[in-house]
Amino acid sequence: MPGMLQDAGREPRIGVYICHCGLNIAGVVDVEAVRESARFLQGVAVVRDNRYTCSEVGQKGIADDIKEFKLNRVVIASCSPRLHEKTFRTLMEKSGLNPHLLEMANIREHCSWVHYDDPVAATQKAKDLVRSSVARARLLQPLLRTKGQVLPEVMVIGGGVAGISAALYLGGMGIKTYLVEKEPSIGGHMAMLDKTFPTLDCSLCILSPKMVEVAECENIKILSYSQVEKVEGQVGNFRVQVRRKPRYVNEDKCVGCGDCVAKCPVKVNDEFNRNMGTRKAIYIPFPQAIPPAYVIDDENCRYLTQGKCKICQAVCQRGAIEFDQTDQTETIEVGAIIVATGFEPYDPRGLPEYGYGRFPNVITSLDFERLICADGPTYGKLKRPGDSTVPKRVAFIQCVGSRDQATGCAGYRLDGGTGSRGESTDPKPYCSRVCCMVTAKQAFMVKEKHPDAEVYVYYIDMRTAGKGFEEFYQRGRHEGIVFLRGRPGEVEEKEDGCLRIISEDLDSGCILDLTFDMVVLAQGLIPPGGLGELAQKMNLSRSEDGFLMEGHPKLRPAETAIDGIYLAGCVQFPKDIPDSVAQAGAAAAAAAVTCSKESIEIDPLGPVIDEALCIGCRLCEVLCPYGAIKVEFTDKGPKAKSIEVACKGCGVCGASCSTKAITMKHYTDSQLAAQVKAILEVV
Amino acid sequence: MESVRKKDVPVVTVLDPKFKYEVAREPGGENIKYCFQCGTCTSGCKVAELDSKYNPRKIIKMVILGMRERVLSGDFIWLCATCYTCHERCPQDVRIPEVMNALKNIAVREGYIHPAFRAQAELIAGHGRLYEIDELANEKRTDWGLTEIPQGCPEVAEIYGITGLFDLLSREVGGKT
Ligand SMILES: Cc1cc2nc3c(=O)[nH]c(=O)nc-3n(C[C@H](O)[C@H](O)[C@H](O)COP(=O)(O)OP(=O)(O)OC[C@H]3O[C@@H](n4cnc5c(N)ncnc54)[C@H](O)[C@@H]3O)c2cc1C
Ligand code: SF4
Ligand code: SF4
Ligand code: SF4
Ligand code: SF4
Repeated sequence: MPGMLQDAGREPRIGVYICHCGLNIAGVVDVEAVRESARFLQGVAVVRDNRYTCSEVGQKGIADDIKEFKLNRVVIASCSPRLHEKTFRTLMEKSGLNPHLLEMANIREHCSWVHYDDPVAATQKAKDLVRSSVARARLLQPLLRTKGQVLPEVMVIGGGVAGISAALYLGGMGIKTYLVEKEPSIGGHMAMLDKTFPTLDCSLCILSPKMVEVAECENIKILSYSQVEKVEGQVGNFRVQVRRKPRYVNEDKCVGCGDCVAKCPVKVNDEFNRNMGTRKAIYIPFPQAIPPAYVIDDENCRYLTQGKCKICQAVCQRGAIEFDQTDQTETIEVGAIIVATGFEPYDPRGLPEYGYGRFPNVITSLDFERLICADGPTYGKLKRPGDSTVPKRVAFIQCVGSRDQATGCAGYRLDGGTGSRGESTDPKPYCSRVCCMVTAKQAFMVKEKHPDAEVYVYYIDMRTAGKGFEEFYQRGRHEGIVFLRGRPGEVEEKEDGCLRIISEDLDSGCILDLTFDMVVLAQGLIPPGGLGELAQKMNLSRSEDGFLMEGHPKLRPAETAIDGIYLAGCVQFPKDIPDSVAQAGAAAAAAAVTCSKESIEIDPLGPVIDEALCIGCRLCEVLCPYGAIKVEFTDKGPKAKSIEVACKGCGVCGASCSTKAITMKHYTDSQLAAQVKAILEVV
Repeated sequence: MESVRKKDVPVVTVLDPKFKYEVAREPGGENIKYCFQCGTCTSGCKVAELDSKYNPRKIIKMVILGMRERVLSGDFIWLCATCYTCHERCPQDVRIPEVMNALKNIAVREGYIHPAFRAQAELIAGHGRLYEIDELANEKRTDWGLTEIPQGCPEVAEIYGITGLFDLLSREVGGKT
């Protein structure tokens, strides 16, 4: 609306609204005092306080004022703009004002909530913030919003049970979906599990039909052995660069006969079996893999590392082996993205007192799943790794790498005291949520195979909240599993490979000194490796725990702060299979809503380049984290050009430009300077 | 306060809810309220293995519950060998040996000093060291060509005076001098 743009030309007439937010703000901040402090600020035409500015009444009051006082700018001092900026921008638009002439001061999160114990200082800070918002509002300029097209296609990153479920929901709605998985097969961790709690159904028996469904769904395209390299654009129109690693086996020709495997001379540790068994250099991760094609591991293949062999090519009757395959980079355009890259198990070598990696009979819970699985290294026979004997006394230790706040000590256990968190060996402060049930399940499975085995679980608290979970825990106790309250300090190895644990049994008050044949560490769930880089590619935030941050912890659990990008499964926080699938449904629904729109309004943020000032120094080009500004040769010499679809409006270019040729829309130097100057004023 | 109904079964009827904050304010006691009673500290504690009176987890629980008298007057808080094993392993970063130091400091201000520690403090005040140098020792030193060591050590006594240690040593239960 061109009329809306002209509004700003007039002398600023600002309406200022201070919100009580019930008692959320007014309980700490003296709202009346803040209101009076704004009354005579330059440009202010009207000031009011509202119990709830976002309510129907509050909004109507502002609309009426805009008419009556001929307002052309609005300042609202209330909650975070993340919550209500959209509400108030819509209100401005309806009242005939450009939505970018709104300025919000956050006096709830930034004042009353953080300074709840100091009302006087909180009130002063609120006054300062309002004053600085008014100063900025005076200089705000109307901006034209552009409309973007929406591609009715979705990309799901990560092919675990969450990604698979999301892809199936979307495919079922007729939405074209790309499922990107970094491993040669989809399936994720669920494919590695033997049975699943609390019903003990076989994990692959329930997962593999879904995997087959994905392969057969005509709307889903699987990009296995692939990684996301780059993400550009915004909601409705993302351009994702995906790099596919060469399999060296043609997926369409390979029928999975396995002739090549029999002849391949190279044996290496099998990571799918947690390095407890071996596989060949040409292999299929597990029999039910999707796509059901073999793959050559280029780090170990004799031909690819030493230039001689090709035995597999000679034996393959289908001519499926293609050593001339190379990395393929593909750009895929989609309207929305679902991130479902799951978790990584905590590496207990970060707690050396428990001996993992030093004592062969100390294993982790994921190792246990492989050890007891019919397709595992022992064909489902429970044997301890040290000497292949059947363990008769098994101990489980809970919360390994979880619920651990010990920044100081945990830090210098391995990394020399930096206390850094984020490494796979750094213990985490949160509860990993599934491991109590995982142990209850595994302890039960030991009893199932060997009813006379002695099974002890060392725990701090047993957390079995979930449908059928408490009943399952009770069943375990009834089977004779002994639950000991008390976290052991140390595991010692004896000469025969058995393991001694000294612990305090809190309930009997005794110090227990017991010896076991095998110890299973209930490892926590931590953010998957590389999540930081992936998040950066998409401009996503991570919460303090390292997982991806949801749009709102209660109301937008499957969304992110970035429009058009959604979350499913453990990448948001550890959860079990039912919860991962439920979140996948929510993410798929949200992505489908986005894709069903005809067009989407785009925030017009980003750089404006003054060609007369730009000297083509390329500083901005080098610094822009999104490759969204490039220097091009024009008839006036080299000049920076903004690539609007890639720009995320971060402002790095504007701050870096050596000749001040770049102005950031909505965040101009003069607007920011006025804001800073006002906040520093002594009043 | 605390009364004993049955033999050996303490029945506690009054708790001091402020005690945990008091300990948390004392240097070393800052993290006490993080304890979630997992037992890791006691599991690896060598003193606990030798003497059932000492159980760091229980001491921390008693503080959190507010058994002020019982904790400060007990001799168990003096038993920690400050080996720091539990400090290294405690998943909640409670820093148990430092909590014990905090408790000892409060106890001394309240007039509770374990007799062994009082004896040590008095020895040092009198002799400047943990043991008395008698004439025999000095004779031996002279034989070996070493200088004699003076019997008392007024500087140490002076330090006691300036730092208020004499004052602390003479406190009565309840904290009055
Ligand atoms: C030992 C153990 C036992 C368990 N037992 C049970 C049980 O009995 N019942 C139950 O309900 N839950 C159980 N769980 C939990 C269950 O494993 C998880 O709920 C489930 O696997 C989560 O699925 P997901 O898809 O979110 O993550 P994941 O299974 O981790 O899948 C993530 C996928 O994304 C891929 N990926 C990662 N990064 C990228 C990237 N950058 N690009 C592309 N792809 C990527 C991974 O390769 C993987 O395939 C258990 C967990 C453990 C550790
Ligand atoms: S070429 Fe490589 S994959 Fe093929 S048989 Fe030889 S080592 Fe195995
Ligand atoms: S789920 Fe249980 S074992 Fe896992 S971290 Fe939480 S309390 Fe510990
Ligand atoms: S604001 Fe500048 S630096 Fe940031 S993404 Fe846009 S062009 Fe790049
Ligand atoms: S190890 Fe730490 S958290 Fe556990 S009982 Fe001892 S002090 Fe408490």
